[in-house]
Amino acid sequence: MRIWRRIFASCCSVAVVACGSDVEQSPEIPDTSLSVRSAWARAADSGAMTALYFTLANDGTLADTLLEVRSDDAALSDMHVSTQRDGMMRMSPVTALPIPATDSVSFRPLGAHVMLTGLVRPLVPGDTVTATLRFVSGASVTVRAGVRAP
Amino acid sequence: MTMRFPIVVLTGLLASLLTACGEPMKGVEIRDAEPAAPFVFTAHDGARIDIAAEKGKVVLVYFGYTHCPDVCPTTLSDWARAKRALGKDAAGVRWVFVSMDPDRDTPELTLRYARQFDSAFVGVTGTTEELEALKRAWGIAAYPEGDTRANDYTVAHPAHTFVVDRDGKLRYLYEPGVSGEDLAKDLRKLL
Repeated sequence: MRIWRRIFASCCSVAVVACGSDVEQSPEIPDTSLSVRSAWARAADSGAMTALYFTLANDGTLADTLLEVRSDDAALSDMHVSTQRDGMMRMSPVTALPIPATDSVSFRPLGAHVMLTGLVRPLVPGDTVTATLRFVSGASVTVRAGVRAP
Repeated sequence: MTMRFPIVVLTGLLASLLTACGEPMKGVEIRDAEPAAPFVFTAHDGARIDIAAEKGKVVLVYFGYTHCPDVCPTTLSDWARAKRALGKDAAGVRWVFVSMDPDRDTPELTLRYARQFDSAFVGVTGTTEELEALKRAWGIAAYPEGDTRANDYTVAHPAHTFVVDRDGKLRYLYEPGVSGEDLAKDLRKLL
């Protein structure tokens, strides 16, 4: 049924645009085909930075793309990927991350991660960090990550 | 009963052979290892610290920065696991984190960062000139990428943990992501 729901939502969206209506499409389309598991973040001082890790699963039959991460626990939230080349480690920003249908993407140490910069509070083991993932489809998913010892 | 003794002996011999041969080291061995270049930093309390010269101890050195959210904490976390696995033998190991980001990291901040992972870890940094000299002496690279004027940058830095043996020679390089348990096994062989 999920694919029909998406097709229906897309048709409605097209119809709204075609008619030139001022009615806005809901900015968030709940999508139960996207889910997050195994989310965690490393403990860090207030004002410092840390990384958020999780596995993002897409059980739906349509691909989606992760566009943005926001967290009230940090001044900035950006997707990055760590890469090793010629003996050097560097980080590169990621602006959009495709999530194939019936597949999953892992944010894990030494790979893709969400960089939380300027933590608004100290993160200690046992705390929970919350972030919202926004997708090109309009879907959003909330991440609740347990804080682990550094 | 008559067969039990030979079996015990054979098992013992096999175990001895395996111990003698041992598991291969997980790190990359540097052939014709040379003494690690001496390099002295001033610690937060004014003490002078030579990051590699503590003969009689195995010294681990990692070149990173405290605004590093992924690789540096992952490496120091693996070090902490290795230290716990070593137990009392960890007294023979020195763990040194060197920040290559002199514009943002102070000796105090770098020490505090390193000690988040284990209170025995050492964190040091130096002036831009000192770090440039260190890079030349150790044959490494580290440089900012991004907008340094807007304080929006990362630092490209060496990926590996450098291991100096008890004779002060730079002997092994370890890939990021080596498990604490594997690192501890190797360090035990070097102690």
